[in-house]
Amino acid sequence: MALRAVVLRHFRIPVQSLALAGGKSQPWSFSSSIRLMSSHDDHLSKEQVIERVLDVIKSFPKVDPSRVTPDVHFQKDLGLDSLDNVEIIMAIEEEFKLEIPDKEAVKIDSCNLAIEYVYNHPMAA
Amino acid sequence: MSVSTAGYLARRAAQKERVQILYRRALRDTLNWAVHRHLFYQDASNLREKFDANKHVEDLDAIDRMIAEGEAQYNKWRHPDPYIVPWAPGGSKFTRNPTPPSGIEIAYDYGREDND
Repeated sequence: MALRAVVLRHFRIPVQSLALAGGKSQPWSFSSSIRLMSSHDDHLSKEQVIERVLDVIKSFPKVDPSRVTPDVHFQKDLGLDSLDNVEIIMAIEEEFKLEIPDKEAVKIDSCNLAIEYVYNHPMAA
Repeated sequence: MSVSTAGYLARRAAQKERVQILYRRALRDTLNWAVHRHLFYQDASNLREKFDANKHVEDLDAIDRMIAEGEAQYNKWRHPDPYIVPWAPGGSKFTRNPTPPSGIEIAYDYGREDND
């Protein structure tokens, strides 16, 4: 049994096959910091956050998808107004199942800030 | 002159933030009231039209009055049982199944490790 525990602790599946098997959301993982079958999701990687935030912004009807980059400012670069900004933040909240307090949500006005906020949020999923 | 300009700009900025927060709450409440997503889209665009109708108002006192009216209307029609994200206080999963503190792990066959 001790041997089994040791083997299990050092057993790793290479990232490539994990990506093939699990796809975007990894329902299971051998990482020791995550409890199997627990309700707490695996935390997102920075690349995943960037990709999904950009997807949300690109699918906003008033935005030209070709101009969206990770460091774009909603109102200065994309020609949106403050209420569009609110709508984008709501869409990002729904995408990541978040609830951002009003005062903080109003301050998120660029893609960079949104990515930082979502990435640093412990409950982003 | 510059003092009054600064005061004007500060007041405009405060109003802008108030409108944004009001719009945000109202939009969320619209989603709470909508039974289906496709009903929400129409309601949301009606709400946006209401805000856009007064987009070009310049008079500060008039803006303050309109915001107060909007907030009163929002409070009157606020949803009694709004959606709360599951992990947030009041949500269905709040404090359930929390991750254990770091350093705690499962000891398999506790007390028999050396006997096998």
